[in-house]
Amino acid sequence: MVRYTPVTLEEALRIRAEQDVVPYAGGTDLMVENRKGVTYLFLNRVSELQQISEDDTYVRIGSGVTFTQALKSPLVPDLMKEAVSHIAAPAIRNAGTFGGNLGNGSAKADSVLIEYVTDAKLRIASAAKERTVDVDAFYKGRKQLDLESDELIAEILIPKEGLDDYYYQKIGGRNALAISRVSFAGILNKEDGKIKRIAAAFGAVADTVLRYKEIEKMLIGKTAAEAGELKEAFIQKYADTMVLTRGRVSAEYRKSVCCNLLRDFLDQMI
Amino acid sequence: MEKISQSVVKKDHSPKMGGRSVYVADYNTAKNGDGILTGKILHSKVARARIRGVEVPTLPDGYYYVDAKDIPGDNNVNIVLDDMPVYCRDTVEYIGEAIGMVVGPDSKKVDRILSEIKVNYEELEPVLDLRTAKEAFFNYEYGHGDMDKAFAEADHVYEEEFETGYQEQTYLETQGMMAEPEEGGSMYVHGSMQCIYYVHGAVKRVLNCEPEGVHIFQDVTGGGFGGKEAFPSILATEVAVAAKKANAPVRCVFDRREDMEYTSKRHPSICRIRAAVKDGKVTALDCDVTFNAGAYSTLSAVVLQRGIIAAPGVYNVPNIHVTGRALKTNTSPCGAYRGFGAPQTFFAIEMMMDHIAQDLGVESLAFKEAHLAKQNDPTSTCGKYHFPVPVQDMINEVDKVCDYRKKKAEYSKPQTGRYRRGIGMSMIFHGAGFTGSGERDIIKAVTRLHKYADGRVEILASNGEIGQGVRTTFCKIVANELNLPLEKVFYDHPDTARVPDSGPTVASRSLMTVGELLRRASIKLREIWKDGEEQEVEERYRQPDFMIPFSLEKFEGDAYPTYAWAVNAIEVEVDTLTGVTKVLGAYGNFDVGTPMDYNIVMGQMEGGFLQGIGYSSIEKMDYDDKGRIRNNSFSDYLIPTTKDVPNMQCMLHVEKFPDGPYGAKGAGELPLVGVPGAYLEAVEQALGGCKKHKLNHVPFTAEDTLKELMKEAE
Repeated sequence: MVRYTPVTLEEALRIRAEQDVVPYAGGTDLMVENRKGVTYLFLNRVSELQQISEDDTYVRIGSGVTFTQALKSPLVPDLMKEAVSHIAAPAIRNAGTFGGNLGNGSAKADSVLIEYVTDAKLRIASAAKERTVDVDAFYKGRKQLDLESDELIAEILIPKEGLDDYYYQKIGGRNALAISRVSFAGILNKEDGKIKRIAAAFGAVADTVLRYKEIEKMLIGKTAAEAGELKEAFIQKYADTMVLTRGRVSAEYRKSVCCNLLRDFLDQMI
Repeated sequence: MEKISQSVVKKDHSPKMGGRSVYVADYNTAKNGDGILTGKILHSKVARARIRGVEVPTLPDGYYYVDAKDIPGDNNVNIVLDDMPVYCRDTVEYIGEAIGMVVGPDSKKVDRILSEIKVNYEELEPVLDLRTAKEAFFNYEYGHGDMDKAFAEADHVYEEEFETGYQEQTYLETQGMMAEPEEGGSMYVHGSMQCIYYVHGAVKRVLNCEPEGVHIFQDVTGGGFGGKEAFPSILATEVAVAAKKANAPVRCVFDRREDMEYTSKRHPSICRIRAAVKDGKVTALDCDVTFNAGAYSTLSAVVLQRGIIAAPGVYNVPNIHVTGRALKTNTSPCGAYRGFGAPQTFFAIEMMMDHIAQDLGVESLAFKEAHLAKQNDPTSTCGKYHFPVPVQDMINEVDKVCDYRKKKAEYSKPQTGRYRRGIGMSMIFHGAGFTGSGERDIIKAVTRLHKYADGRVEILASNGEIGQGVRTTFCKIVANELNLPLEKVFYDHPDTARVPDSGPTVASRSLMTVGELLRRASIKLREIWKDGEEQEVEERYRQPDFMIPFSLEKFEGDAYPTYAWAVNAIEVEVDTLTGVTKVLGAYGNFDVGTPMDYNIVMGQMEGGFLQGIGYSSIEKMDYDDKGRIRNNSFSDYLIPTTKDVPNMQCMLHVEKFPDGPYGAKGAGELPLVGVPGAYLEAVEQALGGCKKHKLNHVPFTAEDTLKELMKEAE
């Protein structure tokens, strides 16, 4: 069986360009899938992908960073840590990576929800070029990613500002080793008594994580009193707009939980 | 703590922890060194159909297609009624039923052949709804007192219906079995199982041979919980027929999806109860119990018997009428699972008592306490509670540990806010051993002790180690009675060629019944012990003299010699935004008699308690309108982990049974049986009580909770 175990990103990208390979980061999904007849590009020795750093604007998380590593890093925002701390169980958090969570393409990915709500960007690399894409543009549909066959996810860029005022809730089927059935993350920043920024993202309820920036605008610039008056209309707008799928729980259950959590988020944060 | 209760290292600890135990899937070659052929079952894809034909592609050399035509004996698996075929007759009756088996050396080729087989089904309308199912495999009725009078004189009459779902055993090791033709023509079948002599009887019938023609051995077995009581008989006959045809060793090990979808589970149930209440006391109970048996009757008769005997709960109600039916549907046959019919009926009666109390405006625990049966009271079947009933003391002990009465009162005040709390308590018994006179009339257990010249003693019995510790506790009893170090006494996995039939590994009878035989055998051996000589003693079952003979026709007499008791309290917090219920505390008080090993018993209690919480809350399994179980994997059928119930406290209350070894009774079922009643009472209280939300089914999921809360909003 052919397998590739590059140690540099350059080498990994060259193989990715030349061969038909499946990138393999932590393997927590791929090991279970146990696909037949595929060639894996193992990325666990590429140390360039395993760094957590920061610049003026972003916390930069390498795609090969594991959840356990992130939980120990002082650079990773608390909101991301909270979400990551509920993933599966220690053994899986030790192996699972941010890149893998994205690359698997699931709307249930707990770290991806946080990337949506924080307006994170992804640095995508190929042997020929590099580009940066917004996380919501990266997801084109269920299991459909804006990722060419010669590209790899290199880094996740999370904006540093304004992440302290957050709300997060995951509902799984049990308290450990549970895939999300509904997850919700919200951020609300105020300035001079007015809402400066509001973001609400819903995971595990549709083909991709859901976020509606148009609806969010309803509350931007509003005072607490104004927002309070708009609250029910705001929630109703979500209820009318969200088209949810059924899965391990019904679509109706998902919608009620989404609306309940959205209301609780507003009640607590406005 | 008594000496016998002090914990030791389990006899199978080291090989299991060290990874040296050989499970049936682990053998590289058969006993005689031959390669092992892989067998895979051709499962029916439809719930009910006439099989018009099976087109099998041309098979390469060394590959076989096996079906009913290859059966030397008759095509019935010996369980109770023997209605289940080894391989289907001219119809299939559920999705997953074995039509045939493909056998060959390369498992990938076997898979390919299996995918190329074309089954020509003439589809028939399946029966899937338990409420409209008509064909009853079993129909029982019993009762005593004057029902008409009690209902005519009642101040209140209550009527309610309760429903429970499937539960899957989720043993770690899936079903697996291997058959090897032996020199001299006998068939050696070994694998994952609880009851070697059940398998022996089944294979003998199918191969149409003398008892010596079949040889059964229990391999190391990775859990059973009842799931390996009857199904191994089915799989054993299938591989035996295949091995006979191929004249080569054949092994079939189920993958997890096959196991979850097609093997036996706990019976879903509907229980309807009518209760008459006069002067604040329940004077009559009319219980109608319906179990979903699935497509064949397998163990449903005995599961239903245990279920209906428990229908009036731990209460002494003067007038009782109970009916029970096990109905046929075109689904996987249901079978044994820890509790064996009793969790369903105890759930119904516990909720019923709670709901009546709430309606009468009295505290539900006090109401239950006022009805508790006591020593010498009649049982539901006009037998007698011969020994002290310790339930009231056990309730008080639980109350002390978790402040039950105080919390119950506090949580009954109106609650607002996102999180709301509730607490519930249930009390149950486990009738220890076989139902009725089964031990005396059917099982007739025999055990032997074989002493070697070097002073080691071997236990010869047929009870299988399935994680419950029987290889250790049997040895402890014998070592204790012979005053030998534990290393000198051993008990290997049973082999029908070597051990007498001491009965199946079920109903928590192994320790209480067989353990006592071993204790008595040890005394015999002690009395004749001669150093340096090889010696053997035998002991046979004798029914205790005090028992009132049980009539299965009338359901009258002592259904069990004694009872193990349990009282559980569960405290929850419901998140009204998500419907998620958090278990704040689970408190269990279990009377297993004298524990034969403290750690083993506590392991059983904690594990069973958690299984009960899963059964009540998250373990939801159902079939669709085609009769197919969709959630057949561990990512779709969730069982709780320790993180779901971090605060679990189990304790033991000892009420000794004079006819059990050192006072031991049954343990295994006890921690699971009562959980649904306690859990749902707690959730119902958190939602505001039964006048606001009358809950009557388990599992009660987060989605169910949210639906209830949305009714409130409307």
